[in-house]
Amino acid sequence: MALDKAEAQKVIVDQLEKKGKSKSKFYLKDFYAFFPDEKPRTVKNIVNELVGDGILEYWSSGSTTMIGLKGAGKQAGAEGED
Amino acid sequence: MAKHKTPLLDQLESGPWPSFVSDIKQEAAARAKNVKGLDYQIPADVCEDLLGILELSYKDGTTHWKHGGIVGVFGYGGGIIGRYCDKPLDFPGVAAFHTVRVAQPGGKYYTSAYLRQLMDIWDLRGSGLTNMHGSTGDIILLGTTTPQLEEIFYQLTHEMNQDLGGSGSNLRTPADCIGSSRCEYSCIDTQELCYYLTMRYQDELHRPAFPYKFKFKFDGCPNGCVCSIARSDLSFIGTWKDAIQINQAEVKAYVDGQSPAGGGSHSSRDWGKFDIQKEVIDLCPTKCMAYVNGELKIYDKECTRCMHCINVMPKALKPGKEKGVSILCGAKAPIVDGAQMGTLIRPFIAVDQTMDKQLSDFDSEDEWVEYLDEKYADITEFVELVWDYWMEEGKNRERLGELMIREGLQKFLEKTETDPMAVHVQHPRTNPYIFWKEDEVDGGWERDIEEYRKAHAR
Amino acid sequence: MAFISAGYNPDKPMENRITDIGPRHYDEFYPEVIKKNKGKWSHHEILEPGVLVHVAESGDKIFTVRCGGARLMTVTHIREICDIADKYCNGHVRFTTRNNIEFLVDTLDKVNALKADLAQRKFDGGSMKFPVGGTGSGISNIVHTQGWIHCHTPATDASGTVKATMDAVFEDFQSMKMPAKLRISMACCLNMCGAVHCSDIAILGYHRKPPILDHEYLDKVCEIPLAVASCPTAAIRPSKVELPNGTTVNSVAVKNERCMYCGNCYTMCPSMPLSDKEGDGIVLMAGGKVSNRISAPKFSKVVVAFLPNETPRWPTMTETIKKMINAYSNGANKYERLGDWADRIGWERFFEVCELDFTHHLIDDFRDAAYHTWRQSTLFKF
Repeated sequence: MALDKAEAQKVIVDQLEKKGKSKSKFYLKDFYAFFPDEKPRTVKNIVNELVGDGILEYWSSGSTTMIGLKGAGKQAGAEGED
Repeated sequence: MAKHKTPLLDQLESGPWPSFVSDIKQEAAARAKNVKGLDYQIPADVCEDLLGILELSYKDGTTHWKHGGIVGVFGYGGGIIGRYCDKPLDFPGVAAFHTVRVAQPGGKYYTSAYLRQLMDIWDLRGSGLTNMHGSTGDIILLGTTTPQLEEIFYQLTHEMNQDLGGSGSNLRTPADCIGSSRCEYSCIDTQELCYYLTMRYQDELHRPAFPYKFKFKFDGCPNGCVCSIARSDLSFIGTWKDAIQINQAEVKAYVDGQSPAGGGSHSSRDWGKFDIQKEVIDLCPTKCMAYVNGELKIYDKECTRCMHCINVMPKALKPGKEKGVSILCGAKAPIVDGAQMGTLIRPFIAVDQTMDKQLSDFDSEDEWVEYLDEKYADITEFVELVWDYWMEEGKNRERLGELMIREGLQKFLEKTETDPMAVHVQHPRTNPYIFWKEDEVDGGWERDIEEYRKAHAR
Repeated sequence: MAFISAGYNPDKPMENRITDIGPRHYDEFYPEVIKKNKGKWSHHEILEPGVLVHVAESGDKIFTVRCGGARLMTVTHIREICDIADKYCNGHVRFTTRNNIEFLVDTLDKVNALKADLAQRKFDGGSMKFPVGGTGSGISNIVHTQGWIHCHTPATDASGTVKATMDAVFEDFQSMKMPAKLRISMACCLNMCGAVHCSDIAILGYHRKPPILDHEYLDKVCEIPLAVASCPTAAIRPSKVELPNGTTVNSVAVKNERCMYCGNCYTMCPSMPLSDKEGDGIVLMAGGKVSNRISAPKFSKVVVAFLPNETPRWPTMTETIKKMINAYSNGANKYERLGDWADRIGWERFFEVCELDFTHHLIDDFRDAAYHTWRQSTLFKF
């Protein structure tokens, strides 16, 4: 069964908001855990689409990429990029 | 008059080797003069402030940069590295100093027209400083501000038909050696294979797909000029399966001193007259050669294709005609568990030597790509098997090589549908702790204790 | 400054957006003779250090003049490269994997004119802009990382250590008198953006102090779970700390003896800076290679545990490197790489002939692999 994007978006936003109290950025793997029955590739594509839609945003250490809700977290303010 | 005094850096202007300090000063002067009358989009004195903050590091022995992670171009997870200085009031020109990675062309061949166009963008919108090239292979544009990032990307894509490179948990910009474009040793067209895979996997290159970074590198032969065996998760090394091609007359020319050994690679020192026995036959690691009665003999079955004899006598010896690639997996730098070299997984994937059509032989790039889909089908199938396994089982920030160690070579071979062979190991295991699978043992593991007791009293 | 738009509309980022187009196709950049003879090269010869000729089966020839370059290059310098390429090479130029610049020309006359031209191009400070060399059994250009010029976790500078080293070995960049090629690489911290772990000689920046903790600000600018998760050795845990003014704040604690000084925490959290004048310096490694020629590729070994950052020219480091190169050059057989030479004479002899001290730091104690580096035989030299 194909993963419905709107449904997936709701799950992702809910999960990130729930966990968002302590941290705002997540590894791609963390998103796989939200959808245990789906292929990593399917989840990855939806996550990347949600970035394109402006729901999520990337954070890069240069070597690793993390993903969070757009605008969430402390660092944007610290960098003057909010 | 320089904005900041730099007495320590000034000492790096002397000596013969090109001085990066002199070059940055030259750029600072050019920006101050601004003969073209550009409306510089980042501070004109950016180079002065960079020298100032670098001088401070030379004085206090510490870095003055902080990491930034959010900046990028919309929809891409890689290609931009955010950077901020920790003394923005003293050095406002470099307060924000982000890096742009630009995907380099194959073999790092350029035309001046291309480079000038790129430099014009960077002159206007950045610091005027670059790296030619970064460690992974990209052109690095060093230092710009956040508002310029999308503008630079827009100009690159719209005016130069040019994309960014990779960073973060993406496929990194693949890199190749010069390959068959100018090297007689190369067993594969490294530029073709590198470009083809780069284009096929653009999504993986720009958007995070993996637990961590992933690198492809392409060496045309076992000399390994692009160091793929040490630096790439998937290392492609050109090789051959049949006999080394020998031209006996040319061998004799080396023996007689008419051709310079190694193409002249040792000519600055007197090593004495070329001695084929001492310099080639005796150094052959498998001792599979002999020079008898003026004739070179190679017992090719025992050859491990180390390239030494070919390197020493390039006019006389050529790799065989049945060519392809060896694929090695899992190389990485030391963090965390120590450095790893690539492990041989696919000893030989043949590359059809009759499929030698170039892009110019086709009406469109799409048709050429279809042709390459067929030519390299065995390679892409393997790549995707590796990725499926790593995406499923790799932990966060675990490189492929670390996953291979954690789960073992057997598992990796199984997941990549590779038959285990003696070439996969340097030697067989020295402990007998074999974890048998139940279906490998006749009768399985379920046994009847009553049946056993008929022959063995309690 | 007035903002100049390239055409990008920030309100509609997807409008006319072009993505996923990759690099330009190499065919656009090949010189004609390369295009024509690709895959059909017969052999090559190094006519003199830095000058190669490749001969095609067709009889066509292409001459290459290879020049060293600082990989940190300015727009002005690259435009000068373009001017040279236009004047001698029909506008073609390429770079090597070791940051060298290659000018490709079609006749020997042009080689000579080009060489004469390059020789007189100097920076105002006196250094050469385009030294010719870097071929055969010499010392080629050093591949390196960013260092203090741009990186947040370096333990030393990259451009400066490389400039100092290349000045010290410059004669061997312009000659081919080594027993085999000798490759030097530089990485400014152990993350090794430039993988230096398989080089004949590697210069590695190294920290020796765990991060300092800015407890007062840490929770304000960092997400503690991310700082904790960033540590590859699990040395960081959340903790509550009482500040001198009596208030208690959320922060982290670091188990110092577990810290491997990688700086990953500083990447995630600017309140955990790592660099330190006394703590930071240089590790030297030796004996690695990536080529399969004669022997298998091998890792570099740590031969000097620590040298301080002696800015601006790192004299102890360059002297130590010179000592290793001289001992190798005097002792190795023709075609023998530095690591193969050291293996042949034994590493105990290597330390003796290179006049290096052996200290306990050089004995591996990191996890299981360490055992395989200890000696399990009576075959040693006095």
